[in-house]
Order: sequence, then structure tokens, then C-alpha cells
Amino acid sequence: MTVGPLVALFAVGLLLLIVGFLAFETYNAVVALRLRIDKAWANIDVALKQRHDMLPALVSAVRGVMQFEQDVLEEVARARAAYAPAEPIPAQAVVSDATSSAIRSLFAVVEQYPELGSHRNVLDLQDEIERIEGVIADRRELYNDQVFQHNARIAQVPALFLAPVFRWRPREFFAAHPEELARPDTELRPA
Amino acid sequence: MRVVDGPVAPQLAVLAGGGLVAGLGLLARGFNGYRTATRVGDIATSRIATIAAGEVRVSGIVEPAEVLLVSALQSAPCVYYRATVREGGDDGDDEVLAEERAIGFRVRDASGDLRVFPRSARWDVPPRFEDRSSALEGDPAGLRWRTGPGYTVAEPDREAQIAALLGLDSPVPSLAPPLAVRSRRGDRRYAEARIEPGDTVTVIGRAVPFAQLADPAEADVAAGNHLPADDPEVAANIAEARAAGLLLGDPEQAWGNAAIPGFGIGRPVREPELDTEATRPALAAPEEAARTARTFEIPPERLVLAAGPGTRLLIALGSPTSVATRNRSTFLIGLLGAVLAIGSAAAFAVAVGAGIAT
Repeated sequence: MTVGPLVALFAVGLLLLIVGFLAFETYNAVVALRLRIDKAWANIDVALKQRHDMLPALVSAVRGVMQFEQDVLEEVARARAAYAPAEPIPAQAVVSDATSSAIRSLFAVVEQYPELGSHRNVLDLQDEIERIEGVIADRRELYNDQVFQHNARIAQVPALFLAPVFRWRPREFFAAHPEELARPDTELRPA
Repeated sequence: MRVVDGPVAPQLAVLAGGGLVAGLGLLARGFNGYRTATRVGDIATSRIATIAAGEVRVSGIVEPAEVLLVSALQSAPCVYYRATVREGGDDGDDEVLAEERAIGFRVRDASGDLRVFPRSARWDVPPRFEDRSSALEGDPAGLRWRTGPGYTVAEPDREAQIAALLGLDSPVPSLAPPLAVRSRRGDRRYAEARIEPGDTVTVIGRAVPFAQLADPAEADVAAGNHLPADDPEVAANIAEARAAGLLLGDPEQAWGNAAIPGFGIGRPVREPELDTEATRPALAAPEEAARTARTFEIPPERLVLAAGPGTRLLIALGSPTSVATRNRSTFLIGLLGAVLAIGSAAAFAVAVGAGIAT
């Protein structure tokens, strides 16, 4: 009895099983990664929106006292007006960084007005916005980590072989492109 | 193909059959390891302080919640253990003890802590204690059967801490478990995997507000005679008792002093109702009371980690990198298992061929 072909058939079957398993798991893993990236972005978007909604309250709370700090207040207002959730992610990163910077400047100036320290409302708003800034920073890190996992995965075997078939492309990090930072026309637009 | 002599063929067939089954078993285990490694490796770690609801991966140090378990084979305080004792004899290998228990705990990272409810979790915990006993050598040095209760307080009081520092054992050891009697059948093999306070763990699950947990009281798992509240008979009994007005609406009405946080397992946060002759326990200081309240009262909106629809809870010992590496190694061993299966299949075929030829 010739058993060679049977053994060869078994070996090929086992090999096909392993290859099929890897292809199936890789496809599912990349799809899950893409969904996680979308979810991570949605979570950032929620925090950006929260910050956007809170800024007018903060500006109006301090405007009366900080009459001589119009530049700082206008910078915050400009940054807020530039918020555009439909823009590409790197462009939103530029706006988010500028908003964070404007908020930090505002808080630094607020420190110079001791009379604002007695305004419970201002302190509460300041605490809440600082909390949201922390949330944005953490979720940005999480999003970028997730994008890194995705981009690394589709650049490696075995996903590398599946990427052209399913048109998987690297996703963009939540970070400003160097050219966007350098380009003068990406300056924040007034409302 | 070379034909093996007749008498060798049956033995070879058995060996090859065993190798085939073992190889396929290793391959299946390897597939499972690959899945776990992918799941752990593909999710980014969330910081606990700013965690968002939904599927998350957190990694940090285990802290006890209310109480701790005492492991079966080494009496170690832990939040999870899986203990097995196998006994070998002439007529085969028997599992004489298989116990797996878990209890809710906290995970702490640099930003904060998070409660984990381990119901229906999958545990990836390698054994911490593996040894064997024999008739000649006796029990292994690390074996320390649990002889007291299965639970211990998470934060022992001052006297217990002093006793532990001085190395004093419990003054009244209770009866040893029946398994502590030496086996008459042959060697025993002991294995215990556990997660202790202070260990690093990686947890993947669903972050949900505490109020959305289906039944927080059922969060602890216990293999064996555990009856969940969604058991039809238990649920019917509860509904019947509720309809008859037998169930009290307030924990304090139902449990009396036991409803006072810290009572009986530390310092109570408020004055309990006691007989006049009873020794009154010292009340907790404000900081201690706050800590006790934090331990026992979880705000409904607080996010906790549990299994959820479509998200199975995975609790693995070690950092994410070490968990992924461990499971990738399992996959590589699984591939070797495939090679073993192919080789065994070839040997099996030769043996069967030889059997037919003779």
C-alpha cells in the first residue's frame, strides 16, 4: 500500500489550515484595528467638542476683569472659531494645538489677576477645561498608538500580502504635518 | 517505502497515534495563543484616569478590593487562583483536585485605579507553583495546604500585621483538608496559578458604568456549586419572596450591623448597635472611613471593567508585551506541533502499512 500520497495530502491539508487560519485572523485583526481607530477618533472628537463648547463661557467670565488683555482673549476666540470637525485629521491637529496653546496663555494671564481667584465660576471652568485638556492629550496618545499598531500591522507579514487585496492604507496620526505647520495660510482663520 | 517488521508495527502505530494527537493538540493551543497575542498586542493601553467607555486595555498593579482569596495549595492571599492535583497510579492519571476561584479587584496605573469584575473572564496565568510528591520524598517544600477559611481581609488590622511581621503562624490551625493525607496510589503532581496583590496584569474588557453591570453582586466567580441569580429556579424563588414581602428593601434592615462598612473586617465607619456588655469596636478615623466608603460604595456612574456584549474579559498576568510574547511562543510551539503531527502521521502510515503487509 502506498502511504506516501496520503501523508503528503495530510501535510498539505495541515499547511492550508495554518495559512487559512493566519489569513482569517489577520483579516479580522486589521478590521478590528480600523474600527478601534475610528472609535479612538470619535472619543477625541467628543473631547474637542466639549472644549469648544466651554471656551465661550470661560472667555465671557474673565472678559470683564481682563479688559486690557484683549490679545489673549482674541487668540482664544480665533482658535475656537477655527474648530472644524470635518477637516482632515492633521489640519484638526494644528487647530487643536493652537487652541491648547491659546488656553495655556489665557490661564497664565488669569494667574496675574488675583481678583479672579475669588470667582468660583472661573475656577470651576478653569478646572474643567484643564481636565478636558488632559483627556484630549491622553486620547490623542491612545489614538496615535492605535494608528501605529494598524500601520505596523499592515506593513508586516502576513497582513502585507492581504493589504493590496483589501486596499488597506496607513492611517494618519493625530499630529500636524510639518508642511502644515510651516504653511502661512493654515494660520487660524477668524470667525 | 520501507516496511517495518510485524511485531514493531503495533507499538509504532500507538506511538505515532499519540504523537499525532499531541501535535494537533499543540497546534490548536498555538492557534489560541495566536488569537490572544493578536488581541493583546493590537489594542493600545488606556490611561485609567481618562478611560473612555467601551472596549479597552489597561495594565497596572493588582490591588485588593474588599477581601482576598486564600489559594488552595500555598495558602497565598490572591485575587485569582487555579489549583490542580493529579495523582498517578498503575491504572492511569486522575485529577483529584481542580479548583478555580476569582474575586473582584482593582488595577492601578500611574493615573488612577479601576475596579475589575471578573465574571466570565478568560484567565491567562501561567503556573506559579509546580511540583510533585512521591512516597519516598514526601510532600514538596512549597506545598502549604489551605487549612483555614477561603477568604481573608484585604487590609489586615494592626495585630495581624504585627503577627505577620514577627513570623507567627495562626495559633489555631484548623483541620487539614482530606487531600493533605499522603497518596497511597503513587506520585502526585501539584500546580497552582494565581494572581496576587502587587502583580502586574493586563486586562482587556469593556469599561461600563457600574450601574450598567447586569448584577454586580454576581461579579465573583466560583467554580463548583455556585448558583447564579439568573438561574431560573433561584430567580423564581427571589421573585416569590419579593412578592410575599419577605425581602427587605434596605440593606441595613436586612443585615443590621453587617451593612455598616468596615464592621467585622476592620473598623466600622459608624456606631453599630451592640449589646451593652459587648466590647465596642473603635470607629474608623475620617481618612480610614473615607477609604472604607470608597472600597464598599461604588458610585453608579463610575466606570468599571467587566465582560460585555461582544467583548470577552481577558485577564492576563504580566505587562502587555510579556503577555503577547508568551502567547506568540505558544503559537510557535503549535507550529512545531504541526510538524510533529505530520511526522507522526507518516510514522502511523508506515506502521499501518507494515501491519497490513504482515
